[in-house]
Amino acid sequence: MTRSDSGGGADIRELARTFTHHDEGLDVAFDVYAELREHCPVGFSEEYGGFWFVTRFDDIHRIEQDPETFAVAPGMLLPPMGRDRPGIPIDVDPPMHPKYRRIALPAFTPREIDSMEPMVRRVASELLDEMGDDHEADASKGFAVPLPMRVFCELAGFPLEDSERLEDWVNRIFYVRTHDYADTERAAAETCAYLAEKFDARRSDPPGDDLLGRLVRAEVDGRSLTDEELVDYGFVLLTAGLDTTSWVIRSSLWHLAQHPEDRAALAASPELVATAVEEFLRCLSSVQAMARTVTRDTELDGRRLRKGDRVLIVFGAGNRDEARFADGDRVVVDRQPNPHMAFGVGIHRCLGSNLARRELRIGLEAFLARHPEFSLAPGPAPPWHGIGPLPLILGPAKR
Amino acid sequence: MEQEREAQVRVDPARCQGHNRCVALCPEVFDTDDLGYAVVTKPVVGADLMSEVRLAEENCPERAITVTRA
Repeated sequence: MTRSDSGGGADIRELARTFTHHDEGLDVAFDVYAELREHCPVGFSEEYGGFWFVTRFDDIHRIEQDPETFAVAPGMLLPPMGRDRPGIPIDVDPPMHPKYRRIALPAFTPREIDSMEPMVRRVASELLDEMGDDHEADASKGFAVPLPMRVFCELAGFPLEDSERLEDWVNRIFYVRTHDYADTERAAAETCAYLAEKFDARRSDPPGDDLLGRLVRAEVDGRSLTDEELVDYGFVLLTAGLDTTSWVIRSSLWHLAQHPEDRAALAASPELVATAVEEFLRCLSSVQAMARTVTRDTELDGRRLRKGDRVLIVFGAGNRDEARFADGDRVVVDRQPNPHMAFGVGIHRCLGSNLARRELRIGLEAFLARHPEFSLAPGPAPPWHGIGPLPLILGPAKR
Repeated sequence: MEQEREAQVRVDPARCQGHNRCVALCPEVFDTDDLGYAVVTKPVVGADLMSEVRLAEENCPERAITVTRA
């Protein structure tokens, strides 16, 4: 495909004006990123109330190291997640941000994650047993989606029967907000009511070391968290680690199903999976972008940003920037070095990144050990993005 | 060219955000504190660990690691 017609002014202006990081925008994201990085690295889209987008690696990195100029309030997500209150800690700026953040940080250190590894392995193995060795199976519904859900239920002490409800809420919070915000608000309200109930119950038990217990016992500025703060925090922990991780498990399998050489290499040498996971995160990540708010007039690539403007930092575009990653649009499973920004950089680095990485690595290792050969099932090509169906033929492809 | 024999490894605590890429790539030299931020357990490394610490340096998303000839 040639793009000779899109270097011109009018086309690129239209591309910028209608730029979106959701829905159908994701189908063409990587081509659009390439155009924008080249011809309009910082531009203005009229979607979602209007926002600047930033697509080059170095610009994004710079913004992330300057949280005073680029604040997160009123919220990091664009559009928001159906609530008026900020999520804790992601939508909170310093000085409160680090105080909130250090409450949950000890739960996600590598050592803590090491202690969860046997549980994650057990969950992966259970799911693979349930999925069976059917000739054709939906690896998204059978594996990618339930893996992080079951792990989260274990960590939070939620009964597994609740996972259907939780899945429905998270879907409506993330994937419906662009076209039916009222439904997203309802889902967010239901989620918060559920969390409030769980925290109440947790207060009457002696709170243990699980996630909810940590929050109930936590102190900031010498006081306990208020009921509202508990829900604001719980809401982020619940929504941040489910579909995001599922997405990357699915997109990794999506890639491997179409690249037998990569699949064979990883199946033969499971120790390579950790390196490959970083590449899947760089190229096919769920968190393609996050928003900031400009706190004082500033300039970026010659564009004048004014106080109050919203800025979308497009990690997905920066992570494919040729200035930083040679052959940036190609998935190279043994790429080194790979200092990508899939989990963000700076003070808002994804709190759960260690857990997400571990789930990805163990999930893919377990999947490849059980199914060293698989390919896309015949039919319409599934999109790279999202948590929709991924029908695979498990075992050697039959013709 | 002279072979690198020894190097000094540092993590800038003001930049480290706890990605833990270094710990995964070179556990012989890096560890984490109770909040998950990187600490250097072996500040001077020899040729045997040079490629691993370089890899950690190059993969740090915050550019918080420096490896300098001792």
